[in-house]
Amino acid sequence: MSADARSSAGRPRGIRGRLLRAGLLVLSALSAAHAAPYVPSSDSQVLAELPAGARHGTDATRDLARSRLDIALPMAQFYISRARATGDLRFLGYAEAILTPWLERTPVSVPVLVLHATVLQSRHAFTPALGELDRALKINPQNAQAWLTRATVLRVLGRYDEATDSCGHLTPAADPAITSLCLQGIRGLTGHLRDAYGAIEALPQQALPPEVRAWRYSELGEMAGRLGDDAAAEHWLREGLQGAPDDFYLRAACADVLLRQGRPADTLELLKGYESMEPMLLRIAIAHRLRGDGSGAQARALLASAFEVEEKRGDAVHRREQARYYLDVDPHPAAALVAAQENWQVQREPEDILILLRAAQASHDPQAALPARQFLRERKTEDARLLLAASGS
Amino acid sequence: MRGWGLSALLLLSATAQAHVSSNGFLVARVEGREVSGSLELAVRDVELAIGVDANRDGKVTWGELRAAERRLDEYLVQHVGLSARGRACPMTLKPLQVSERVDGTYVWLPFSAACPVEVEQLDLRYAVLEDIDPSHRGLLSLTAGTITQTAVLGGKSTASSLQVHSPARWRAFQEYLSAGIWHIWSGIDHLLFLVSLLLPAVLLRRKGHWEPVPQARPALISILKVVTAFTLAHSITLTLAALDLVRLPTRLTESVIAASIIVAALNNIFPVVTEGRARIAFAFGLLHGFGFASVLAEMGLPHGARLVSLLAFNLGIETGQLAVVFAIMPLVYAARASVFYRRAFLPWGSAAIASLALVWLVQRAFLPTG
Repeated sequence: MSADARSSAGRPRGIRGRLLRAGLLVLSALSAAHAAPYVPSSDSQVLAELPAGARHGTDATRDLARSRLDIALPMAQFYISRARATGDLRFLGYAEAILTPWLERTPVSVPVLVLHATVLQSRHAFTPALGELDRALKINPQNAQAWLTRATVLRVLGRYDEATDSCGHLTPAADPAITSLCLQGIRGLTGHLRDAYGAIEALPQQALPPEVRAWRYSELGEMAGRLGDDAAAEHWLREGLQGAPDDFYLRAACADVLLRQGRPADTLELLKGYESMEPMLLRIAIAHRLRGDGSGAQARALLASAFEVEEKRGDAVHRREQARYYLDVDPHPAAALVAAQENWQVQREPEDILILLRAAQASHDPQAALPARQFLRERKTEDARLLLAASGS
Repeated sequence: MRGWGLSALLLLSATAQAHVSSNGFLVARVEGREVSGSLELAVRDVELAIGVDANRDGKVTWGELRAAERRLDEYLVQHVGLSARGRACPMTLKPLQVSERVDGTYVWLPFSAACPVEVEQLDLRYAVLEDIDPSHRGLLSLTAGTITQTAVLGGKSTASSLQVHSPARWRAFQEYLSAGIWHIWSGIDHLLFLVSLLLPAVLLRRKGHWEPVPQARPALISILKVVTAFTLAHSITLTLAALDLVRLPTRLTESVIAASIIVAALNNIFPVVTEGRARIAFAFGLLHGFGFASVLAEMGLPHGARLVSLLAFNLGIETGQLAVVFAIMPLVYAARASVFYRRAFLPWGSAAIASLALVWLVQRAFLPTG
């Protein structure tokens, strides 16, 4: 089905949409045009604060990482966790630089392949990520890590049967709670939402390591939202944030719940200090618009300019955010639809279904919503928000 | 199960996506052999590349950056290279400044580079942060003349090449070639002048009478001489005028062009010059060149492709002119022996041309323009 969806949904609008979007970006970037270069007035003027892990001093360690795998692996892992906590894509690049020399060795190390897959997946290069994972599993079919990452990628792609299969391979090696989270997460997307919600809620919280607790909370929050219970969703997500305040995903999901309930002030409060992350900035801009007091011009300009740079680079990492930007911040339904369709070619999470349905509706183009509707029908995905959007047009 | 912390992390990072990747902004302009512009790198990236934070307090100050300027210059010379036709264009870095972009402060490095040859294809090597952040990219905006092209530098291959002039030049060439052809066809005055000079080329003047040439050869030579003289003459003045070295008032040149047609046509009826028509072609051809130039002046010559466009326009004129010669002269040659041609067509045709040119002369010389 994906081949059909590709040709009917993605391509025909490509060039026109690209031009349209480029035009919009130029317009908005003009207002955000960056200032002329200048000479700072004082030697003590601070130009940049360096985040942890982004110092030249790590050079020596980096050299060591070239010859010692026991240094390379935790270093790459550290950078990936920094990327996740800060939402800063540069860290993925640093991780990749550490892994690259090790990828060229034979025999290649399985953890290196799995970490590389994680970097690729974080950049939304899902197909190459699957390739690395399959390589890893060929060498070591018992690697639970690789199976779990594989399940994640397949889930993002909407390939739920294969994802379930991958979760199943976790069973002998992994903690039963992790297998359960993996499986129930997918059951929750394939017609057993209430059931899966109950199963995850029943998982003993205390037995789980902290990171897995955050995962459980995010799963619960998302499921409650799909069940239409935003109060419960907020409860789970806030609870999760207490244990893991750095968790990027929990915070973004919580902001979405607040925005859905029309609570811009609470959203801005929640996202204070996270302005440097593009997806957070998007939610800040939406909150400003909801308030309707004309504030938020800066957030809008920053986003437009960031999208423009991504466009120049040819990155497709933030198509979902772009689509949402053109629906909720700076309404241009046609541009939103193009971004949503391009995003649909890359990922198929509930959020992606929703954005495609909304963009199709806003552009009065029911035809464009067909791939998403078919996807929902085939997988029996339940989502209160999706049903609203799906019945809307 | 050690490492499950990592697992959860891996699972969630699919949705935990981040903001901007590392980008350098390279803006360059090519003019002849000179390449000038600026490179902007995030302060953070500069720190990673060479280490700027001398006191290691996690903050980069303007003082620390200035102190590292020399090392930064060296780094850039090693990691960014420009060359043309395989020969390096040595870069000179000017004093750095800073600029603000949405994701923070950038170091702004103006540079100029002198290539040993005129830049037609610019070869770039961009290896900034190559071994530290392979996702770093150089976003290039390259301007030559009025054309700006963009490219993404870096990544798997550090080398890239951009055609600088060719697309613009080739387009200009085509445009001006067709303009030249079109002008000779629509500018019938030039053609009538040439035809007037060529009509008697198939005849010989003997004792006050026209006689057909016995063979093709003398006719061909005569045609060749006239056409070459005309071409040579108008090419000279067209070039001089187009490059703004000589300028004559349009009214004057247009009037003299009309007069030249009258002279050439009358010479067929009352022959004065019978052997040296090439000289007439040359003398008046000089003025026709100014006529072509005024058309070219209206179009303007594109900056950076002036000579190419001029050459193309001239070639266009010659092409159109030769097409007319090839179409008419065989017919004229075939008709040369007939009494009609010598007694009627040549004198009366020439008279018609002369009258038409007389009208033009009056219009151009004496009537108000516009």
